[in-house]
Amino acid sequence: MSYLRLGLVALAGLAWFLLLPDYRTLGINLLLLAGWASAWDLLGGWSGQTSLGHAAFVGLGAYTVAVTSTRWDLAPWWGALLAMALAALLALLWGKLTFRLRGSYFVLASIAVAEILRLVAINERELTGGAVGLFIFDLKEPFGLDLFGRGVEFWLALGYLVLVLAIAAFVTRGRLGYQMRAVREDEPSAEAAGINPEAVKLWAFAISGGLTALGGCLYGIVLSALQPQPLFEIHLSVRIALVAIIGGRGTLLGPLVGAALITVAAELFRNVFAEANLLIYGALIVIVVLFAPSGILGEVHRWTVRRRYARGARG
Amino acid sequence: MEGLVPLLQNVTGGLLIGGIYALIGVGLSLIFGVMRVINFAHGEFVAIGMYLAIALFADLGLDPYVSLLIALPAGLLAGWLIQRVVLARLIDSPGDSTLLATLGLSLVIANALFLLFGAEPKSIYLPYATATVNLAGIRLPVAQLIAGGITLAAIAGLWLLLNRTEIGRAVRATAQNRLGAELVGVNTRRVHALVFGLGMALAMAAGVILAPLLFAIPTVGSSYTLKAFVVTVLGGLGSVPGAIGGGLLLGVVEFLGASYLSSGYRDAYGLFAFLIVLLFRPQGLFGRETKRV
Repeated sequence: MSYLRLGLVALAGLAWFLLLPDYRTLGINLLLLAGWASAWDLLGGWSGQTSLGHAAFVGLGAYTVAVTSTRWDLAPWWGALLAMALAALLALLWGKLTFRLRGSYFVLASIAVAEILRLVAINERELTGGAVGLFIFDLKEPFGLDLFGRGVEFWLALGYLVLVLAIAAFVTRGRLGYQMRAVREDEPSAEAAGINPEAVKLWAFAISGGLTALGGCLYGIVLSALQPQPLFEIHLSVRIALVAIIGGRGTLLGPLVGAALITVAAELFRNVFAEANLLIYGALIVIVVLFAPSGILGEVHRWTVRRRYARGARG
Repeated sequence: MEGLVPLLQNVTGGLLIGGIYALIGVGLSLIFGVMRVINFAHGEFVAIGMYLAIALFADLGLDPYVSLLIALPAGLLAGWLIQRVVLARLIDSPGDSTLLATLGLSLVIANALFLLFGAEPKSIYLPYATATVNLAGIRLPVAQLIAGGITLAAIAGLWLLLNRTEIGRAVRATAQNRLGAELVGVNTRRVHALVFGLGMALAMAAGVILAPLLFAIPTVGSSYTLKAFVVTVLGGLGSVPGAIGGGLLLGVVEFLGASYLSSGYRDAYGLFAFLIVLLFRPQGLFGRETKRV
């Protein structure tokens, strides 16, 4: 069932590529945002640990590819593997340190960790180029494909989103997925049932961080000029989290729905709001929190489940 | 003795700016202590205060210290409305819904300021405020001295309100036990609205007195939200005296760190302290085990 939905996502991406050739950059941004939000959802939605620091993984991914390809002449796919390993390691340390905090305290700690990493990226000039940043000039070409072409990048971004969704579908339907939900709903009861909550949360964080960093690698190539400001910024963390929450936490396609809604709305109102585009995020999240606390897809799910039971009761 | 005057200069400068941090942090801590709401829009309330002072100064020629008389009741009313319209519906809902709602409000406010005032930095030029007073070799800018005085008056007023009036008793009762307060006849809905209004009024007052001191940009709020979190966590979330201590401490640490250590990592020192306190001493540096207002 969920693999059918993955196929539909891939088909929709193909249709976008063929029908909207002028909007490929927009499409890349949408796909990457949806991928990050889906990766965020493994921790924030399925495991119930809201993080407002995921931009750190995006920045880590982008910078790792930039540093390995420009300084060490490494192919970007090896850089991406390294970035994912580093991100998983970072997530394990970060989680080990802060998972003892609950609820809002965990959120505050995630902001602090991400801000410290941003300050490191700005100040460690030898590694990251400081506030000026790094540039990716040329990359190895797999099978003769130019990785700077918008078409190729679109396909990579689509592949990234489908990969994240497939992993999310696989994880959440398996044993770990049930444990994640148990920890989210009631940690002491989960522990009483023999689940190690910390281990479950660490697994979720490591997978989530690694997948976010993979998207960050791709984003670094798309931007090709990296600066700490947009990559590590709290606004990116906030966007990733809000997209997933607006679409529906703990649903497979919710983050994609949220990303599509917000990206298309921002594009439609671009002339009205100019650079004030976060206004849409703010207004939408207030509306969602007040009137649809499970997010858009979450409310749809609840509605269909209720109807199914009502029909079953009628006979 | 050579280094003493610059040291005192830094400490007094830090204390004066720390007083403003305290004024911001006190409101955040009060809101958390009474309502259990982490207010992500707190720094944006400061930004609203700054832009209100700037707009009144530019359009009506009103002195920013006079516009405090407008900012305080306006903040009280706006905070009251935000609590009634948005937060009151969420007060019993689980998880982080109030946190997300205030985060959304902060984005709306920052971007609305951007649409209204544009991205270029704005400030207020007061000829008398740029003068300095020389006190035993320590130079003190007049604007910062006025800011310190207003901060002191505002915090003293808040203390009197909380500890010497019937309203303050209801606020403290609600913070200690909401159900218990309701059982003895406290209208906790009204107390919540009042507390959020007070917090917003104090934050806007801090914004008004910051307006002559530095330039305002629409995104200035988020840095003050972070500073307010640092201040309140250092002093213990929910503790008003703790927030005052935390604010003064952060001001002094920032001034000393910027002049004696690397200035690039200035914001990081506060965040490190924040993380360490959050992890190992969640009741704050000066706090007891229980959280009280």
